[in-house]
Amino acid sequence: MDSDTTMRARTRVFVRRITDRVSEDEKTRYAYKLLLPAAVMMAIVHFLPILWGALISIMQIDAVYVSQWYNAPFIGLENYGQLFDFDTTVGSRFWFSMRQTAIFALGTVLGSYSLGLLTAILLDSEFRGSGVARILVLLPWICPAVVVLLVWRMMLLSDTGIINHVLLSAGVISDPLVWLIGPNAIYSMILVNIWINFPWATIMLYAALKSIPDHLYEAARIDGAGRWGQFRYVTLPQLKPISVVISLLLILWSFINFTVPFVLLGQSATRSGEVSMLFIYNYAFQNYAFGLGGAMSVVLFLFAMGIALIYYKYAVSGTFEGEGDD
Amino acid sequence: MTDWTTLDRDLEDVLVGLTKRFAMAMVLIFALFPIYWMFVVSMRPREEAVSTNPNLLLDSLYLENYVLMWQRFPLVDYFINSLIIALTTTALALFIASLAAYSFTRFSFPGKATFGGAILGTQMIPGVLILLPMYLLFVNVQTNVGLPMTNTYHGVIFVYTTFAIPFAIWMLRGYFANIPASLEDAARVDGCTRFQALIRIVLPLAAPGIAATGMFVFLTAFNEVLFASVLASSDVTPFAIGIQRFETQTQTYWGQMMAASTVATIPLVVIFILFQKPIVDGLTSGSVKQ
Repeated sequence: MDSDTTMRARTRVFVRRITDRVSEDEKTRYAYKLLLPAAVMMAIVHFLPILWGALISIMQIDAVYVSQWYNAPFIGLENYGQLFDFDTTVGSRFWFSMRQTAIFALGTVLGSYSLGLLTAILLDSEFRGSGVARILVLLPWICPAVVVLLVWRMMLLSDTGIINHVLLSAGVISDPLVWLIGPNAIYSMILVNIWINFPWATIMLYAALKSIPDHLYEAARIDGAGRWGQFRYVTLPQLKPISVVISLLLILWSFINFTVPFVLLGQSATRSGEVSMLFIYNYAFQNYAFGLGGAMSVVLFLFAMGIALIYYKYAVSGTFEGEGDD
Repeated sequence: MTDWTTLDRDLEDVLVGLTKRFAMAMVLIFALFPIYWMFVVSMRPREEAVSTNPNLLLDSLYLENYVLMWQRFPLVDYFINSLIIALTTTALALFIASLAAYSFTRFSFPGKATFGGAILGTQMIPGVLILLPMYLLFVNVQTNVGLPMTNTYHGVIFVYTTFAIPFAIWMLRGYFANIPASLEDAARVDGCTRFQALIRIVLPLAAPGIAATGMFVFLTAFNEVLFASVLASSDVTPFAIGIQRFETQTQTYWGQMMAASTVATIPLVVIFILFQKPIVDGLTSGSVKQ
């Protein structure tokens, strides 16, 4: 038994020595080989089209040139000039759509995160049926988004929708609300996007709650912390790293979300619900203004990158520094 | 004195417990009502589905919607197209992302940080930015290479697989990192190549994470509408685009639309409930430790 283990250990040392002798070059080559398929596909589908899109944004591609885009004239930054001029129709509408996008993303992240945290805490206090509740809460995330968006569209109809019916019967409102058209459209989108995303936040936060060591709570109790104190000084700091990741992804996913406005609002989206993704799609494809659409897309991309960078600088790096302390 | 505080404690515990239950019930109603309502409306004849005074309870079992929905347009083709596209995408993306994620967790190489940044960067690309270039690229391949790309399965699958790969790598990386490298070393002592060790040791151990990632990829591919609306029409129209045709210029066939929705949802819910343990474990175990 003993000699067997030593033999095995010796073999391992021997093998380690051989592998060390295999040049680092070969390992690197192997690593690249495994990455190659993913890298090539991402180069074709992500990075080449980004450059192409940037190129299109400085060309005048309209209905005439779309079939022969390479013959379209280069017009420099003219498209961008139009965008940054708030007096043009497209300029003012684009920046309005950017404002709606910001509201949509902020509303989604605040709502999904707080509801997710609340639900995770509720699930964490073991009660009868908490196992079943944990599965049921995840169902909105499992259902196909297109399907649930159509269900919400039906529920939010002003004349026959069940939501207005329930609110009217309960006496919360006296007249039917118009949810999908007009100024409320953006709030309907936020509500539905929260419903789609909070289960994911819940399950991530629930797992993080489970991984907080008990002795931290014990120590806090010994120091005299009550329920709130334990939450404030143990739970929240421990949840910070995962919360940073969750909120960043929720912001980015909402920022460039197309499915929610496209399916929920239907073919004729109202101005307040026209977030940038939808506005660019409608504007570029209806007016064959592909150059202008490209310029708007580039601006949207730069905004998304800017958010991620600021986030990374202030939140993510801080988190990782903080992690080293304990 | 002490008795009073314990009594207070007990009362507080009871109140907190009740509040928690009430809150949990509200959250569950919010989460489940739309799914319940989809089923209820799918069981109602048309005039009741759009009634101005609807009953909240399941009051009819009108199964005709489930029969009529297939006759309006080729819904069955849309379903099959979506399954072909989403399942192939899932299999391909999981395979390619596994290789990359493995390389990422086990080796250090020049350019690793750049590649990691690129993975995160793809999550910020607005689809509309690459939609027209992608379309032009497809048309170019078609005219210059002779390989049809628009409105083909392989064209859509290629695009969707690539969309899914970065996030799949990010998820899988977490699971692979949790598997001790010593297990592979042991296998390699026994004569496995690195690739065999990956297939026989790492992938089976990461199965829950792969299941969760697979669910994610499948849902992403099943739900995509932006690229589908431009690159996948006629013969390869997926369910996500096709189902919107229940809403016509003049009226919407809500009952049939909800019946089709229920049919699309039930398999996913059943699969999830059967495999919820590995999926939930997988969803959380990798990423929490990042």
